[in-house]
Amino acid sequence: MTTAAVVAGHTHRRRRWAAGAVGALALAWLLVPLLPVLVWAAAERWPFPDVLPSAWGLVGWREAVDAGLPAALLRSAGLGLAVAALATPLGLMLGRVLGWGLVRRRGLLVTVLLLPLVLPAFAVAMGLDVVVLRVGVPDRLAVVLVLATMALPYTALTTAAGFARTSPDLAAQARALGATPGRARRQVVLPALRGSIVVAALLAFLVGWSDYVVTVLIGGGQLVTAPVLLGSAAAGSGNEPVTAALAVATLVPPVVLVLLAGATGRGRRAR
Amino acid sequence: MTHARESSAGALPGVVAITAVSGTAMVAVLATSLGLMPLYGEPALTGEGWRAAAPDLLAGVAETLRIALPATVLAAGIGLALCALMLRPGRSAVLVRAACLVALAVPHLVGATSVGLLLGDGGLGARLLSGVGAEAGWPALVGGPLPVATVLELAWKESAFVALVVLAAVAPGHRERVQVAAGLGASPRQRVTRVLVPTALPALAASSLVTLVYAVGSYEVAWLLGRASPEPLPVLAYRLFGSIELDDRAAAAAAAATGSALALLLAVPALVALPRLRAALASGVGA
Repeated sequence: MTTAAVVAGHTHRRRRWAAGAVGALALAWLLVPLLPVLVWAAAERWPFPDVLPSAWGLVGWREAVDAGLPAALLRSAGLGLAVAALATPLGLMLGRVLGWGLVRRRGLLVTVLLLPLVLPAFAVAMGLDVVVLRVGVPDRLAVVLVLATMALPYTALTTAAGFARTSPDLAAQARALGATPGRARRQVVLPALRGSIVVAALLAFLVGWSDYVVTVLIGGGQLVTAPVLLGSAAAGSGNEPVTAALAVATLVPPVVLVLLAGATGRGRRAR
Repeated sequence: MTHARESSAGALPGVVAITAVSGTAMVAVLATSLGLMPLYGEPALTGEGWRAAAPDLLAGVAETLRIALPATVLAAGIGLALCALMLRPGRSAVLVRAACLVALAVPHLVGATSVGLLLGDGGLGARLLSGVGAEAGWPALVGGPLPVATVLELAWKESAFVALVVLAAVAPGHRERVQVAAGLGASPRQRVTRVLVPTALPALAASSLVTLVYAVGSYEVAWLLGRASPEPLPVLAYRLFGSIELDDRAAAAAAAATGSALALLLAVPALVALPRLRAALASGVGA
């Protein structure tokens, strides 16, 4: 082997090592912050300064269940589904107008759409809390309506991207073949947009599932979702195993759904 | 013409919902701060809420920016680096993308809880430092004089958001652009600075703007990880809102109005002045 080949081999190995180290650093940045709740959720005793728990167990989960975790998870799922059920069709209608360029002042429409992203959720919730109280809208309905509005930018812009990739001629062709406008929409346009609609619904679900401040302020403490239960444990209990169990229970459903959607998206692109 | 009008009418329910919710909320916050919507008693125009909150408002704006600006800069820089990693061929790109999706899906409240258990006094970081026998004690990153843990939590989660938005914007055609640059003699560094960065800039600016306004309005992270005083505007407003003193409601509304004004002041000029940013934001959020 020549000297040049040996040097080239060393350089190649050093580059591969450096690339591996950078990749490991990136994974550490993204995943290490979640490590404490994962370990604490499986710990019974972890005195300071031990690096690992001295006793493993599920005491945190038992206490979390006693504190109402199953019902809170169901309420979170219900809230997420209700927000998705409302925000997805409304977003789809907006997405069609944006994606197919059916509006002359597109910039103005996008600016209005971005308002829920720009205005702080706590300020919107505080303002509406007084109004909801005076008008007499039921708390839970008000929480769903406000969160659905906050999810609209995501559902509208996601479906707009889907419409932009789908030709409006599809519907026209279906109608030329005798389909009614409704049938052309249901059987031709919507199936072509299935991927975007699923992602939009997922994003809206996540807005409902993850919310804390709107649920607490407008829900008036009556709607105890998983984040609400976690918030009170994290702020005041000092019971790390319970707090960690609540955190892991709140974290798993959205992570699984997003990873599934990500894998499906990759599969579709690969095909 | 009629057809176009009918077609665009589909946007109406969504636009009405957003303007009704956002408009009503902002009018109510302003009216409450001026004494025109008291919880009990007769409405009376007064600046008492603003006067009562004034000293805390100035400190609150400073603390809010002390959190939001570094968090945004860190998220943008790290997000761009993560995007560059995901653009490389190979399995590590797939793993980094999956890790970005995980970080993105984690609710901020869960993230703040976990970061508290990582960087707090008795947290994992302090345990590891003690385990290696370090002389120096663990610094006060949670609830300390600087909002380090709050900034890091926001930067962590938002860097994943920035990375995925920028990736969606630059991935189509990236390989071809890099091959052309390499063919023209560009070094690996030049391929990043002259090809990746300019292509990524609109999406990077748009996602950074979303991160900035999110950090300005974020409550949970600073509530769990920040110090007691001075409070950022969302924490200040929330504490005053829950106070047993009914007069504090007007001060809470003043803090909420200030937070909204700050977010609008940061976002609106950028969106109006840069239509390209608005377009990138629209396609970035939808990506």
